[in-house]
This record gives sequence, C-alpha cells and structure tokens, in this order.
Amino acid sequence: MATITVNGQQREVKSSPDTPLIYVLRDELGVMGVKFGCGLAQCGACSVLLDGEEIRACVTPLAALEGKVVTTVDGLAARWARQKGVPVDPARLHPVQQAWVDEQVPQCGICQFGMMIKVTELLEHTPKPTDAQIAQALTESGPSPHLCRCGSYAAIRDGVHRAAVLMAQGAA
Amino acid sequence: MNSQLFQFGGAQPAAIDIDIHGARLTALSRRGFLGTSGVLMVALGLAGPMAAHAAPANALDATQPASWIDIHADSTITLRTGKCDFGQSSIYTAFRQILAEELGVPVEAITQVISGDTDRTPDGGGTFGLLRNAGGNLRKAAAYTREAVLTLAAERFGVPRAQVSVADGVIRGGGQQARYGEIVAGKDLRLTIPVAGELTSMFGLVVTGNPPLKKPADYTVVGQPVTNPIIRPKVSGETVWVGDVKLPGMLHARTIHPATLGSTLIAPGKLDASLFPGAKLVRLGNLLAVASANEWEAVQAAMAVAADTKWSEWKGLPGSDHLQDHLRKGVDWSQTKANKSNASKGDVTATQGVKQLSANYFVPFLKHAPIGPTVSLADVRPDGSVTVHTHTQNPQFLRRALALMLGIGEDKLVVRTYPGPGHFGRSNGGNAGSEDEAVLLSRALGVPVRVQWMRADDMQWSTQSSPMTADIRIALDAQGRIAAYEAIHSGPPMQDDRPIGALLAGLPTMDAPHPANPSPLHTTSMNIADQWVYGAVPAVLETGRGTYQIGEKESPIRVGLRDHSMRTPIQFQQNFPREVAISEAAALAGIDALQFRIDHATDPRVRAVLERLRVEAAWDSRPSPAPAPKARAKAGKAGTGVLRGRGVSVMLRDHGYWACAAHIAVTPATGVVRVERMTLVVDPGIVVNPLQLKRQAQAGCLMGVSAALHEEVRFDQGAITSVDWQSYPILTMAEMPELKVVLAPASGSDIYGQGSESANALAAPAIAGAFLDATGKAIRRIPLTPEYVKLALRG
Repeated sequence: MATITVNGQQREVKSSPDTPLIYVLRDELGVMGVKFGCGLAQCGACSVLLDGEEIRACVTPLAALEGKVVTTVDGLAARWARQKGVPVDPARLHPVQQAWVDEQVPQCGICQFGMMIKVTELLEHTPKPTDAQIAQALTESGPSPHLCRCGSYAAIRDGVHRAAVLMAQGAA
Repeated sequence: MNSQLFQFGGAQPAAIDIDIHGARLTALSRRGFLGTSGVLMVALGLAGPMAAHAAPANALDATQPASWIDIHADSTITLRTGKCDFGQSSIYTAFRQILAEELGVPVEAITQVISGDTDRTPDGGGTFGLLRNAGGNLRKAAAYTREAVLTLAAERFGVPRAQVSVADGVIRGGGQQARYGEIVAGKDLRLTIPVAGELTSMFGLVVTGNPPLKKPADYTVVGQPVTNPIIRPKVSGETVWVGDVKLPGMLHARTIHPATLGSTLIAPGKLDASLFPGAKLVRLGNLLAVASANEWEAVQAAMAVAADTKWSEWKGLPGSDHLQDHLRKGVDWSQTKANKSNASKGDVTATQGVKQLSANYFVPFLKHAPIGPTVSLADVRPDGSVTVHTHTQNPQFLRRALALMLGIGEDKLVVRTYPGPGHFGRSNGGNAGSEDEAVLLSRALGVPVRVQWMRADDMQWSTQSSPMTADIRIALDAQGRIAAYEAIHSGPPMQDDRPIGALLAGLPTMDAPHPANPSPLHTTSMNIADQWVYGAVPAVLETGRGTYQIGEKESPIRVGLRDHSMRTPIQFQQNFPREVAISEAAALAGIDALQFRIDHATDPRVRAVLERLRVEAAWDSRPSPAPAPKARAKAGKAGTGVLRGRGVSVMLRDHGYWACAAHIAVTPATGVVRVERMTLVVDPGIVVNPLQLKRQAQAGCLMGVSAALHEEVRFDQGAITSVDWQSYPILTMAEMPELKVVLAPASGSDIYGQGSESANALAAPAIAGAFLDATGKAIRRIPLTPEYVKLALRG
C-alpha cells in the first residue's frame, strides 16, 4: 500500500510497486486526464507533474512515487486556484487550459494532455517564454520531444503566449 | 443505387400529409406519440422521438437509421451524423453552420451533435470529404426541413407560403411570427426525405432531390469563425475518450501478433500462473492474446508469452531498401488493366521536343501513426448481440465487416464511436485495428474485453499509405514550353479493408484487393487521382498501373503490407512526382518555377492562387538553381556552408485550388534540410469557417513537412521494422517553420471548401523543388533525410 497525493487528494494505492503510474491513475484511481501514447517515454502524451516537474507516467513505477504530489490535467484548475489562494471553481479552467480554448489549439487532442502539463511546468518557471524557449521546452527538455501527429505546433505556440498573458493577468 | 423514400412504420392515421419538394411531411396521431411536447424529426426514427433519444447502450434494433435533424419544441435542434471527428472539428463547427444557415437559425440553436453511433445516426459512410459529401447532404436535409416548417407556418398564419420567411430563428408572415419550436409544438411530425445508397456501404446514404437551397450570397452563418465546442471538455479532462470507456466486468487484453507478416503459430508461449495468477491465454488460429482484470498484469504477461512463442519463419517482402526497384522491375503490371487519366490528349510519343527530362520518382510507405495506438472494447452477449466501442471513421462499414466475420446479421451489432487519436483515413474502411480482436476475445471469454494495442502493434499491424513510383518524361519545345507530358504511376492502390484479427483467426473477411474484386473500391486498379492543371500542354498521357498489396499473395496468412487511405490518398503519391518534375522542367527551360506553372495553366483559379502566392511568399522570380555560386563553392569546400532555395507546388482537389511555396536551407556536408518558411494560398470555394480552416491548413502543412523530411516505413523481408517514434520519427516543434496560410476564395463558388488534406500534400513537392533550387540537384523521393540528401547531391 502506497500513499500519493493526486490532484490535491491523498490517495491510498493498492497496485503493485512496479506498476507504471499511468495504470495506477487510470485503472485504480479513475483519474483519466493522462493518456496512453507509446508506453516508451517517446511522445509525452502521458505527462504529469510530479512535485511540479514533468514526468512520463508510462515509465514511472509506483515505487518511485511514495509521498509525492501528482498533478494531471484534471487537477490543473485546482492547482491554479491554490496558487492564487482562491476557492476552486469548477467552472473555471487553468490559464493554460483556457488559452487552449481561446486559441482553438487541439485537433484530435490526444497529445494535448501532455502538452498542457509541459507548458504549465514551463510557465511556472518562465512566465513569459520566447518562441525559442517554447520550442526548447517541448522538444529538448524532457526524455523525448512532445509529439503532435496532427501538426498543431503553431496553435500550441499561440496557446502558450496566450496562457502567459492570462497568467500575468492572474485569472482564467 | 436505388433512390428510396424512407417509409415510417406504424399504422396510425396521419393527420398531416404534405409533399415538400419531393419529401413527405406527416404527423402521427397523439396515441402514437411517446410523450414529448412536440418534435419534427427528419428521416426514420426508431419507434418515436424519445426512443431515439433514450436508446439504451445495447439497443439491438439498429437496423433502422435515426433522425437526421430533430427540431424540439423549445426550438433547440439536434444534429445527427454518421461521420465522426478526429480533429477536423467539422461536424461540430461547419456542419452546425451549414444546418443553421439553411434553416435560418442561429448556430447556437443547434445544441447537440450525435455522431458516429450506428443505432443513433442516419447516414453512415466514411468520414471523408466531410464538406463536399456529407455537408451537401446536410444542406439538402436542412432545406427540406425548412420548407416543411415554413409550409406549416404558412398554414398557421393563413398566408401563402411565398409570404413566409425566416431569419435568425424567427419565422414571419402576414404580420405574425413564430419560432421553429412553436410550429412543431404538440405535434409528432415526421419528414421523410428521399435518399439513395446503402447504409452500411463504404459511402452510406446520399440525400437526393432538389429542395430550394439558400443562395451563398445571402449567407450569414456560413463563413463565420465559429469556435469548436468540444475543445473545452477535451482540455478540462471531461471528455470520455474511447480508451476511457470502462465496461462492468471487463478484462484488459493485449494481443500477441506474429513474428512476421507471413508467420503462422507453431507453439504459444507458456503463461506462468505463479507469476501472472489473474491472466488468461486465448488462442484463435494465429491470433494469440492475454487477458486480465489488471491491465499491468496483461501487459507483462503478454510480453512474457510473446518472448516464448514460436512462429514460422517467412521472407516474402522486398525490404524497404529495395522497394523502389521492386516496383520498377519486380512487379508484373499486366495482371491489372491500366487506366488513363481524363486529361490525356494528343500524341506524346510523336513529340520529342528540343530538350527532354526523363526520370523516376518514388514515394515510400507512410504510416498514419496516431499518437495513441488503437484501442477498442467489445461486449458479446450470450444472446449473440454485440456492442463495440471504438474510434472509427466509418462505423456502419465496420458493422458490416464484423457481422461478416462473425457470420451474424448486421442487426445484431451496434458500433458506438468516441473521440480517439486521429488516424487520418486509416479507419475510413471501417476498422482502425483492434475492434475485431476485441469482439473475438469477448466472444471467447464471455465477458467484455478492452484491447489496447501497444506502440509496436500499431506500427507493425495497422494498414499504411501506399508507396508509388512514377516514370515521367517531359519534352520542351524551342520556346521552353512543355510540348509533351507523359507519366506512368505504378503501385498498390489503397485500400485493404480486411480486419487483421479476422485474418489471423482465419475468419471471413471481404476479399483482399484483386483485379475482379466485386467491391470496385477494393480492386488492384490504379486510377489517376491527381487532377491535371496545366491545360496549355498540347500532349498529355497519364497512366495508372496497379497491383496487389505488397507481400499479400506471398504470405501464407494472406497479410502482407496492407494499405489504407491517408490524407489525399493516391493523389499525394501522384502529385509529388508531377510537381517535382514540373519544377525540374522549369529549371531545364531556364524559366522561374512559379511563372512556368502560370504559363501552362488555363484555369483562371489556378493562375490566381499562383499569382497570389508570388506576393504572399515574397517570391523572387528567377530561374533555378539559385544564383549562389560563392555559397555553393564554400559549401563544397569547407563543408559547413548552407544553401538556400525556394520551391512551389500546386494541387487541385475537390474543387479546391491550393498553391504552396517552401523556403529551405540545405547543409550539404551533413545532408540536413531545414524548412524555414511555408506559405500556403487556398481558394477552396465557399469558406465555411475561416478560423477552423486556417488551423486545419496550418496543421496539415506541418504534417506534410513531417512526411517530406522524416517519414518512411522501414521493413525487412518479413516485418515492419519501424516500430516506435525513434524508428519512425515525425516532425518536432523545434523544426516548425514560419507558417503563413492565406485564404483566397474566388467569389461565386457554390461548393463548400474542404479542409487540410491538400495542405498536407503540398509540402513535399514544394520542398523538393526548393532543394533543386538550392543545390542544383534534383531529389526525386521523400523523405529528405541526410542519407537520401547525400545520395541526391552525388547524383
């Protein structure tokens, strides 16, 4: 039995210690905002924040997570509310999610779960990134590039700039 | 195809029975009405409007299609379509706009879109040509509906129909007004519209007849940048994707596919019950699978069993390194009748010209490569009923294939469709892969089964986009104009719609492509899909030569490299060589590549997009190659120099005119090509939604850059060796060029513009043209990887 904090809630987990986080989240805890892409840490679709840093849930075993804090896309809005010290409002999105709506970023959208996680990590460290910093974050900073098969990279870049504005304004 | 009018069941007397431009508007008695406050349904309901709404998840009376358009008493509207969405957004944006426009209501009135469920949608057919085909259907269905409601309104107002009009949801006439809902309230109305076709065929149903259509000049909703309402639930995490579906008592399965595309199972590996106590091993012919209530156990047990499984050896593929040679020399092209294009004219053999270009071009196998591998669920019940949950572009055709596999009636099957990773045409023939396996495993195990393919399964066992080779000869006259153009396009056509699980299990499927396949779409015949745009060329001969799927006849399990449509299918494979050859011919003639195209185009819309491209791309008009002797010399000597060039391509597809300019940088020493700038100009006809079209074109263009720079399916003599993102790399964000998309619709068009498909195809020939411009050397294949670039520079 392991204990991890997922999207602000402490959860007791029964899965075996070698179980990759993605199956723990989706199958045992019912947290579905993490998607299966490659199972090889090559695409970034399954990214989650672990203590604020992006990791790949498909290759991270439960044993490495005891006592850690996991945030998925499902928990981004609450994360933002906590950071701003305001009550969680189910009608409000995290600025990154809101920017993704404003800029109509997703096509099929399966990669965007990992994209939004990576961009949240980026903006928490670099509030006003340049195009080069965005490309670097989404291509070189993790175990692999974050891949989008639909080719929505231009929309993603627009979305990051929009999110930066929304975050600077302090609201979404 | 027989034209048919839907007849509504039930013996209730009709209080209303009106002919509406060939459609039939009827009302059932109150007794036949199931308790709503009134509704108008278009096409055939199940048993009544509420039955359609409340169809249970395992409804088995799926033989009858549901309503196309439901007008509710509160004036909200439900739109139903058998098409699905894999990122285009069309069914949630353009479709609602088209419907709202014809009805004369605000787009917000269409509050619900039901898509892709075989028991809840009316039309079937594949998700392709969404605006061209399905958009036209919807436009007509909406026009019939508007006419029906306005006819009733005229009766209510006591004025002739001609005095009744509708705008912004309000129907007016004789000084009175009413909303749609008020006209249908308290009635149980059925509008039967004429359709042709077959529900579970590849193409589904087509609306026929000629209802009066709103004039495009009067459009107010079509043309607006309507946002996509499904994005918010997707980014918040609320959307239920196909992979998120959980069925009570379901098992997670992983299939273990053969060692090669021709291997048979000799001995299954041992499933160690002490290591995997909850796992079960299932064998169905050459299909092997492990299932467990615990997904991670299923993954591990499948890997352990796979490592211990014995398959027969098989070598029946040419290998990707030899594919181009195989297509040129190893195929008997006489087995399938060749086709000539409609553009063929004059006597090409009589024209040698003053200068001549003669070359061979090649497009390799490409993968649809969705970011998430296919996943689906099936629930086969003891009573023989089957429900499949999947992400498919053609759910009705999938239903037909699964019924054939199981030997049961189509009425026993329901296919439910969910969002999933885009697969760009792969499932237009029904299956994306895994659906049939889920059904077979559920039947074998007696419980619902979820089959998730792993990355390698998806790369090795899904279909791919066909390869093609082209022999092109261009003769130039003394003025540098094309006197003759001759092209022979040779390859296996799309599409092989046989589900892989059914093949491995030895169960019935439709035929593999062969010359006499009773399904005309599934023959070995190769048509010319690339529309000719150079009308001024006096002699043209374009020939298509088709063959069997590579390795299929050699494989004991009849698998081989199965093909399926992927964006601009076949047209891309033919447009790439044509447009590269045209750029080469322009260089040979010493004429600017863009001007050369204008000089040979006769259609003013082709010329217009090229003229506009010249401005938008800041195109420097001059012959190729680029005048950069110093840079070229430096690049050759020091090995570190960069050569820059620009290229152009044109495509006419679905009445849409597309032109593209690529600006690239080539480093000869490393063979690295960097795409620096892409400019697209499109005249698609009517732009239904400029916001979504622009996003689609941007993304499609980048997918095309990905194919141009990186993509080739590698395989040895038995199996695909491109198994993951390292062995099948795609474009990353760091490689994204500067992008400019210009919408330049010609006025007066009556045709809805298609989306990003053409954007996808334009990149590769423009980039190859830019390579010729930059280096003075032609590159006649993709991808432009360092390996092939260095070969081209030597040649």
